[in-house]
Amino acid sequence: MNQFNEEDIGKLLRLKRYEQPPPAYFDNFLHEFHRRQRNELLKQPLWRICLQRAQDFMFRLNVPGLASYPAAVTAVLVCAAVLSLKIYTGPGKANVASQNQTPVVATALPDTAWSLSAPTAASDLGRRPLRTVNYGSQTHRVATPPRYVLDSTPVSYEAAFRF
Amino acid sequence: MEQPKPDEDKELVSRTQDGDAGAFDELVVKYTPRLYGLIYNMTSNHEDTNDLLQDVFSKAYKSIRGFRGKSSFYTWIHSIAVNMTLNFLKKRGRRYHLSLDDMDASVQNDKEFLELTATSSPVREADLSELQRRLNEAMMKLSDEHRAVVTMFHIQGMPHAEISKILRVSEGTVRSRLFYANRQLQNYLEEFRKNPVS
Repeated sequence: MNQFNEEDIGKLLRLKRYEQPPPAYFDNFLHEFHRRQRNELLKQPLWRICLQRAQDFMFRLNVPGLASYPAAVTAVLVCAAVLSLKIYTGPGKANVASQNQTPVVATALPDTAWSLSAPTAASDLGRRPLRTVNYGSQTHRVATPPRYVLDSTPVSYEAAFRF
Repeated sequence: MEQPKPDEDKELVSRTQDGDAGAFDELVVKYTPRLYGLIYNMTSNHEDTNDLLQDVFSKAYKSIRGFRGKSSFYTWIHSIAVNMTLNFLKKRGRRYHLSLDDMDASVQNDKEFLELTATSSPVREADLSELQRRLNEAMMKLSDEHRAVVTMFHIQGMPHAEISKILRVSEGTVRSRLFYANRQLQNYLEEFRKNPVS
């Protein structure tokens, strides 16, 4: 018994070309297409119609560089965003910096330690430290001018060098 | 099926891009029968085919300004039609009913038809109209991608290279899909030949 071969299948499939819609179908197709286009146009919102008209106008003018228009708009928007961010974040940072500096000086140096009188004139140079600065809690020493205090022992009492 | 001349299409496309709607109408008239055949044989439903064909031309009209002529208009419009039909078939899934067009009377004069019915073949043994019905059912059992390839190659008479451009797959893929689909169709029809009443 014969079997269907590939050629038979091909021939049968080619006969499907004869499956056709009613004769008037192709004649009416264009008319139907126009009708649908008009309906679609009427359904569109006004702004879209205006936008489309504007695009048509621009396209007919053939404005050079129109292709880069979206890229240019994006670039302008990005620049504007970056600038506005800088403007709003700039002063805030400066405030934070000055606030951090002030407490370090204030707490490290009490008022009594800033006397303008000569250090030798100080009545009590005993055990009380001149400054109550807790150096262990600081990572940097405060940048104040060095203070030199003369020893209570006269220089002449020092042991003489012997060669 | 005769392939449209690319130069004529180029001119019509260019005129459409310049705003001549009449030029696009000419393209619609020219491509409607061919694209109808493509979509109809993929959907096996006349109403779906009509809606899809309208949508295909509508989409083509909207995006024709973006058409830069890298491929021919023929390939471009066929790609739109195939992709839209495949998307439609994915959404439709298995919910479909056959709504087939009648065979044109001119089939009686077709050389292949005469060959099929005259020579000794399994086609002659079976009732041809019944065989066509079975063939349509068998086509619908194929996957959408396989049916697309079978339609373009066997029914529309496109070469492998053109199909590969339209589907954006390699020619090897087109050939392998075609081979597999032919096997499937052969099996379905063979089953019918052995059990014609089923």
